[in-house]
Amino acid sequence: MPSAVESSDAASSPVAAGVRVALIGNPNTGKTTLFNALCGARAKTSNFPGTTTSIRTGRVEAADGAGPLEVVDLPGVYDLDLDSPETRIARSVLDGGRGTAPDVVLVIVDACNLPRNLVLAGQLLARGARLVLALNMVDLAGKRGLTIDAHTLAARLGVPVVPLVARTGQGLTVLRRVLDQAPGATGPAASEAPPAHDNGMAAWADALAAGVTMAGGPGHALDARTEQLDRLLTHPVWGLAAFMAIMGALFWVLFALATVPMDLIEATFAELGTLVERLMPAGALRDLVAQGIVGGIAGTVVFLPQICLLFFLITLLEDTGYLARAAFVMDRWLSRFGLPGHAFVPLLTAHACALPGIMSTRLIPDARDRLATILVAPFMSCSARLPVYVLLTTLLFADRPAAAGLAFAGCYLLGGLAALVTAKLFGSTILKGRARPMILELPTYKTPSLRNALLTARDQGLSFLSTAGTVIVAICIVMWWLSAYPKVDPPARVAELRAAAGAPGVSPEQAEALGAEAAVLESRAAQAGSFAGRIGKVLAPAFAPLGFDWQLTVGVLTSFLAREVFVSTMSVLAAGQAETDVNDGVVAAIRGMTRDDGRPVFTPSTAASALVFFVLAMQCLPTLTVTRKETGSVKYAAIQLGYMSGLAWVAAFLLYQGLRAAGVA
Amino acid sequence: MPPLIPSSDAASVPGVVPLTAVPVGAVATLHEVRDAESRPVLKSLGLTDACVLRLCKVGDPCIVQVRSTRIGLSSAVARCLFVVPGGTDGK
Repeated sequence: MPSAVESSDAASSPVAAGVRVALIGNPNTGKTTLFNALCGARAKTSNFPGTTTSIRTGRVEAADGAGPLEVVDLPGVYDLDLDSPETRIARSVLDGGRGTAPDVVLVIVDACNLPRNLVLAGQLLARGARLVLALNMVDLAGKRGLTIDAHTLAARLGVPVVPLVARTGQGLTVLRRVLDQAPGATGPAASEAPPAHDNGMAAWADALAAGVTMAGGPGHALDARTEQLDRLLTHPVWGLAAFMAIMGALFWVLFALATVPMDLIEATFAELGTLVERLMPAGALRDLVAQGIVGGIAGTVVFLPQICLLFFLITLLEDTGYLARAAFVMDRWLSRFGLPGHAFVPLLTAHACALPGIMSTRLIPDARDRLATILVAPFMSCSARLPVYVLLTTLLFADRPAAAGLAFAGCYLLGGLAALVTAKLFGSTILKGRARPMILELPTYKTPSLRNALLTARDQGLSFLSTAGTVIVAICIVMWWLSAYPKVDPPARVAELRAAAGAPGVSPEQAEALGAEAAVLESRAAQAGSFAGRIGKVLAPAFAPLGFDWQLTVGVLTSFLAREVFVSTMSVLAAGQAETDVNDGVVAAIRGMTRDDGRPVFTPSTAASALVFFVLAMQCLPTLTVTRKETGSVKYAAIQLGYMSGLAWVAAFLLYQGLRAAGVA
Repeated sequence: MPPLIPSSDAASVPGVVPLTAVPVGAVATLHEVRDAESRPVLKSLGLTDACVLRLCKVGDPCIVQVRSTRIGLSSAVARCLFVVPGGTDGK
């Protein structure tokens, strides 16, 4: 492939230290693909300070006669003068506002779409940036019958121009060499310098592109195919059908494939915990390592398969160009509630788990829309709520499976409805400003890059582990400690029961029953005496109007770690054993739970109240951690917690009191 | 959502029609964007003053092509674009 580096002084001495390169370009120009091709696995993602916009940095090691490079991947921007968070970040980095200004600006342009892409290059030149222009997707341009004269373009701009195909790596070696030499190079003056003011930039770009582009070939045939596909994929009926089929397939793959590594992770950490208990002497340190640390790490790592797989699949889909069309299909429905069409993927993902759901809001271009989606995503009924729903609907409708099924479906509906109403409410209060009417570039349909998807999945997984993951481990350990300490002596009745079980003449069945009763008493005493139990008793009056006693309040508190912990807490309190599966024995034991005054814990009105509470409440500290990270602010995590908890309390209160007033026990 | 189009008659300027009145496949020259909020975004995508565009699809989304860029517009935005039919398709 011919390169056009003659305009720079290739003989000038390279900079010995790492060259700092800012990578910038319009969205859909293959910028991420080029970044991945340059930096590979040596990249990390972090939020730009104080914003929800992520920024990636990577290092390219010295090779092929070129020195090391530090590459900053700036957000995709169309126009440096546009007032948007992404543009402000790009301008800040280019001006050196957040550290050292880049030595070189690598602007990537789509060879199929030169006139519009050259506007950004012109703006950068007008700002005096030292530019290298990567002319990407020259293969696709060729298929469209477009030939770009890179030599002439380089001469007219006065900057090196490197034709390449980032997806296949074609042209990367030349680019490395050019980037290495660019800081010390002096090129000829541009023969067609851009206008100093933005007025006339588009006309300048048009004229420049026309002067270096030779057209002819099957471009119109490709356009016709694109138009046919667009008509189908954005059609009110067929577009929706295609969307449901594609999303159905995506989530089927996600659920089917993620379950295997998740089960493996859980089993491995369970084995590890057992091994620690076997190897270490009994005591507080062993409990901390086996249950606190190993359990905490397991509770974090178990999210990884879903996060990595989701980002892998979404990146593949995004690369094809389909997601922009899908956003329009859903925008018709979601915009009525102040949410953008892009919000559908995060909201659907949140049905698996709110964590990847919130992380996938990075797809949403507008910061306000992204924030609105983050705030309402946890209303979606995630998989951690399933055991809670199963338990409470079974308690509610013991002999009526159809009614239990309807109540189960109603939980999903209530969660979705709460999300939409909340989005509408927030849109007129804390997130003022309506969702913008959608304006999106519809990128060319392309074959996705597997390598790109793999690197993105890896990158997002590491980002999760290094930021939210560490906090989640700490939270798990603290919650375990609150539930396990202080240790209390078992009641005297426990020793009596065990003595009775070991007495001569007691049948094995009787001994087992006595032992089980002792275990329940011991566990209840341990739970009640723990910090979590004591806090539960203190807070019980706040939950009494919802029909909860102190035991249910403890269940609510411990399930802040993860909602499914509610089932194991209740099974500990009811049966003396932590059960996560809702089997008949667990349901029977929990149904038999009594309050201190002997009345049952779960009446129909209490179970219904608890069900509504768990549908609406923000019972997930890891989610709050991710919200804080993604929004760059504790404020929004606090709003999420306060609003969801308040709404859950009010809804459960109204239901409980209403049912009682209607005569339901 | 409040209407984005001012109440003045869009077709008061001779030859100027709403984008949505142009037949699919026709070429037109952009005359005016009557939505100040969307104007900068449209400009950044290449929908600049007097640019030539081709209407690819009407409805929601409305799809236009400017040079090689295909742009999807929600119907609310499309209703704010006023064009003069005709022009040289520059793609």
